[in-house]
Amino acid sequence: MADVKLDILTPLGAVREGIEVAGVEVPGIQGELGLLPHHESLVTAVTAGVIRFKEGNSSVRIAVGSGFLEVKEAGRVVILVERAVESSDVDAAAAKSARDEARKELDAYKGSVDAPEYRALHDRWAWNDAQVRAAS
Amino acid sequence: MANLKELRLRIGSVKNTRKITSAMSQIATARLRRAQNAALAARPYGERLQEVVAHLIGGIDPAERSSAHPLLEAREVAEGEEHTLYIAMTADKGLCGGFNGNINRSVLATLRTEREAGRKASLITIGAKGSGFFSRDEGLISKHAAPTLDTIVELSKAIAAEATGRFLGTAEGVDDDDRPNRVVLVYNHFVSVLTQEVTELQLCPLQPAEAEGGSSFQREPVFEPSRGEILEHLVPVTIESMLQQAMFNSVAAEIAARRVAMDAATDNASELIADLTLEYNRERQAAITSELMEIIGGAEALKG
Repeated sequence: MADVKLDILTPLGAVREGIEVAGVEVPGIQGELGLLPHHESLVTAVTAGVIRFKEGNSSVRIAVGSGFLEVKEAGRVVILVERAVESSDVDAAAAKSARDEARKELDAYKGSVDAPEYRALHDRWAWNDAQVRAAS
Repeated sequence: MANLKELRLRIGSVKNTRKITSAMSQIATARLRRAQNAALAARPYGERLQEVVAHLIGGIDPAERSSAHPLLEAREVAEGEEHTLYIAMTADKGLCGGFNGNINRSVLATLRTEREAGRKASLITIGAKGSGFFSRDEGLISKHAAPTLDTIVELSKAIAAEATGRFLGTAEGVDDDDRPNRVVLVYNHFVSVLTQEVTELQLCPLQPAEAEGGSSFQREPVFEPSRGEILEHLVPVTIESMLQQAMFNSVAAEIAARRVAMDAATDNASELIADLTLEYNRERQAAITSELMEIIGGAEALKG
């Protein structure tokens, strides 16, 4: 059976490189995306969320920040994200409190939603939320 | 005799200096590997990103390219109204050879030629050395600390946001008069341990590298949601990534420069110690000889 060849790259190095998985689930900008072998060539944006795939018999969950995904011919999937952390490395309690704090600040925010501050705040919330979801 | 003591003290002090320089060189050697590995690990991400951007932008008609995303727009400005924002990346500490001086000198020369030609030039400095050097510059906008391996991601985001905010005129307190129409980063590129190259890199408007040997896609991929919307996300991230790559380079180059400088300093100290020891021994021998002569002279006098 053909496999998906998966790369997960961040600016701080590769989280996974050239591993072969049966399929992978990615948080796309338009919703959750399941990629199987023979997927059409595709370029799309990834939002903060959780990437899931099976490595051997264990399922792996990786919290990622926003980024991009490209599917090339021959089932090669490259995911470029600004950061990534495996569910086993998440400090769930810290992420949870950071998420709740960011949520509170977001709720109290009165400025424009286009302002860089708002986006930074939202990114922080989304990233911590992704970590919490990966760990749970 | 005073000379002997002076020499001894001098040798002692040079030996202390050598201890410090050789320790610094050893520390730099240890840190260099980490910095090089980090720079190497960061490369695939940056390269893939560049490739995707090049592909995306390559598919847009050149005439419409600059309107595809505001950060790609080469704005038309009147003669004499050109304004370039320079970002100068130096280190926080010295003792690393020409690392900081090269950047400062190159940026200073560029600022001068720009201003003499009647164009505007402003500056953001990264690193205490550059901030100090340009602290009285008329165009200095802001100063930042030098990146370290742990702060690169955050710092590159902050600086990218600041620079693009100015370029787009969305940053607070920036009116159309001080909107730069070009943002250029000046940093030390890590060529090898022995060489760094002062490199100028244009961040805005973003000029994607031409994809070499055509696209890596055999067929035109599907863009979801659309080319434009992906560009919307991709362009700012690409600028951040370019800054990041430059920072990784700069950090590695700084450590390499420090190692080379401290190695040279250690060698010089060893040479100096050898010279001083030779002189010291010569003086010592001269003193012993003259003492002996005095004793012999005294004994001869008693005999007679």
